[in-house]
Amino acid sequence: MASGKKGLNRPAIILVLLILLLISVILAMGMGAVPIPAVETIHILGEMLPFVGRLLTPGPVPIAPSHHTIVTQLRLPRVLLAVLVGSSLAVSGATFQGLFKNPMADPYIIGVSAGAALGGTMALALSLRFYFFGIGAVPFFAFFGAVFAMILVYNLARVGERVPVMSLLLAGIAVGSVLQALVSLVTYFSESELQKIVFWLMGSLSGRGWDYFYLALPYAIVSMFIVWIFARDLNVFLLGEEPAQLLGIEVEKTKKYLLWAASMLTAVAVATSGLIGFVGLVVPHVVRLLFGPDHRVLLPAAALSGAIFLVWVDTLARILLPPLEIPVGLLTALVGGPFFLYLLRKRNHTLY
Amino acid sequence: MGKVQLQIEGISFSYGAESILDQVSFTVPTGQLLGIIGPNGSGKSTLLRTISRTLKPHLGKVLLESRDITSLSSQEIARQMAVVPQENRYDFPFTVEEIVLMGRTPHLGRFQREGPRDRRIVEQALQITNCAHLAQKPVTQLSGGERQRVTIARALAQEPRILLLDEPMAHLDINHQTEILNIVRQLNKDFRLTVIMVLHDLNLASEYCDHLLLLKKGKIYRLGPPEELITSENIAAVYGSRVLIRRHPLHGRPQITVLSQNTVPAQGGKGIRVHVVGGGGMAAALMGELVYAGYQVTAGVLNICDSDWEQAKILGIPIVEAPPFSPLTEEDHRRNLHLIAQAQRVILAPIPFGEGNIKNLQALQAAAARGQQVIVIDRIPMEKRDYTGGKALEEYRRLLALGVIKVKEEEEIFRLLEGEESTQ
Repeated sequence: MASGKKGLNRPAIILVLLILLLISVILAMGMGAVPIPAVETIHILGEMLPFVGRLLTPGPVPIAPSHHTIVTQLRLPRVLLAVLVGSSLAVSGATFQGLFKNPMADPYIIGVSAGAALGGTMALALSLRFYFFGIGAVPFFAFFGAVFAMILVYNLARVGERVPVMSLLLAGIAVGSVLQALVSLVTYFSESELQKIVFWLMGSLSGRGWDYFYLALPYAIVSMFIVWIFARDLNVFLLGEEPAQLLGIEVEKTKKYLLWAASMLTAVAVATSGLIGFVGLVVPHVVRLLFGPDHRVLLPAAALSGAIFLVWVDTLARILLPPLEIPVGLLTALVGGPFFLYLLRKRNHTLY
Repeated sequence: MGKVQLQIEGISFSYGAESILDQVSFTVPTGQLLGIIGPNGSGKSTLLRTISRTLKPHLGKVLLESRDITSLSSQEIARQMAVVPQENRYDFPFTVEEIVLMGRTPHLGRFQREGPRDRRIVEQALQITNCAHLAQKPVTQLSGGERQRVTIARALAQEPRILLLDEPMAHLDINHQTEILNIVRQLNKDFRLTVIMVLHDLNLASEYCDHLLLLKKGKIYRLGPPEELITSENIAAVYGSRVLIRRHPLHGRPQITVLSQNTVPAQGGKGIRVHVVGGGGMAAALMGELVYAGYQVTAGVLNICDSDWEQAKILGIPIVEAPPFSPLTEEDHRRNLHLIAQAQRVILAPIPFGEGNIKNLQALQAAAARGQQVIVIDRIPMEKRDYTGGKALEEYRRLLALGVIKVKEEEEIFRLLEGEESTQ
């Protein structure tokens, strides 16, 4: 399918975004309290990659052991988690927007985030400290909170065999409000942990190590793959569910797969990094404005753009006010909002 | 006609206790252009939606090439049947070409990309529907007619063997309505595409469809060619309205004129009864205006099939009628006099006179002699419309001598009638 915008072709868009992401990752790893030159980060990355690594690192580069530790143990897992969370939120948002035929939809629309928030808040409030396969109590609880909310909303919205989009939306809003109220309740009664809870809810990637990345990776990859398989179906969904059915798509089945995959992406993102807003709503928008509504371009482009966006915003969160860190969830809106408005003003003929 | 392609067997459908379709059965042969008509709420769209399996009937089944559609996958159905819904909303800025390419969905495997063949089919579909020039335009910027054509192109890209349309021109102006229907007819004739469409406009249905299915309260009232089905009896029985059936001057199919009598707002007039002497179409407009203004109008003597006669029939007013091209008999004259006697005002339209209708002038003389107010429109001098060699002129002068009101234009009559109204 030809791209919605003339003169752009799909592989070129994806390739350019991929290169931008790679550059972003390398530059981001060099920034922080201890600046590390790009040559060194490339070399360290090269050592970590099994075969292609040798090609990246032809000559020996003297590297301080502290730099090595900073890159491999602190910055790399955090940057990679930003890639994963950013892309998960963007793909989840794009999927919900397609499913609901509504550009206002975002990954948090059906209450999955509220479930995750409640789980994480409870773990913090109860000061639970356990590790399960290297995963702390907070992401563990948050993840299951998200899954719980998903199952609840899905079954509340179900009418026989069908899950009408409208009842999904209503059930999501209702369940989301109740869970959100519970989050506030728990927060209100946990004075000692108040600051931690508030900080976590704002969303942050601070101090996340490899364990978080490995927790998120399989779910994110499988879910993104499922969404990708249904990219063309999502295009047809935009015509409406009835026309989609008449074009030979098994609408209910497809909707179920997409719903669960997108919810899983949200769950993974929220469990590992709290509530980072804006990425899932606006990145798909911007990508649609730039490259058109075809999901076969939109989904990969949104994944890569979401990743690039979050990598940079998280880097800003680390370096703007040293030694303090700004919660990344605040910065995403602070940085992304004006940019989005600028784009809308520039192309005011259409909002989505 | 070809063999049976679609078989509808005893379909019943209801929303709760409300029955929408009741035991509907019929067959559609390959290549037929079938129109489904009926009043609002008679189940037209529901019937179409059960055929496309969008709705599941509670009883009965739909057989597509003798296979029950419930046993087919959505994909298998979409390869055979395409649906053009009533209205299409396109919220996302896909190009027209991309939208039409979506019509190829049922023919593509999950990981298969659209190939040159698919693009060729799309290009063809765009051409047939006069959309080729729109290919690169975003669908969000199309007009209603263009949008509907694009949807038809998308349906054609499915390479269906049956095309279902649900009031495809519901929101279009007359130009676009006929454009859409011409495309549909062309597809039916050129590609032997079976077409089933729900139509609201009975005249368009009669003009374009080979066969019509008339629904009444969820049941088939009649099924047959327009010539047999579009009759005033059938329409009265199903729609409850009085209509006049005429053959279309170009294609000869029956056309409906709804008789407006029951819908005319009866304001003014104050019950004044007016008798019009007309003929040859000279009184048609006047009679309409009088009826519309609320006067009780009668007319005579009119020859059957004369255009004033048709107008009187449409208006549903009492008249004295005579067979076409025959001179008025004493009986006609007597009945005319009888109607005139009941009127408060008698009007003579500027009609031509021949040997056949000269008696009308004598009837008017009788009225004038009796002191009834007679208004004569002499926009055209009698000398120019006298085909009796002076006899009519003579009778006319005699009438004028009896004291009548002469007016030049029809509007003056209304001023006269209204003036009296206010003095009454």
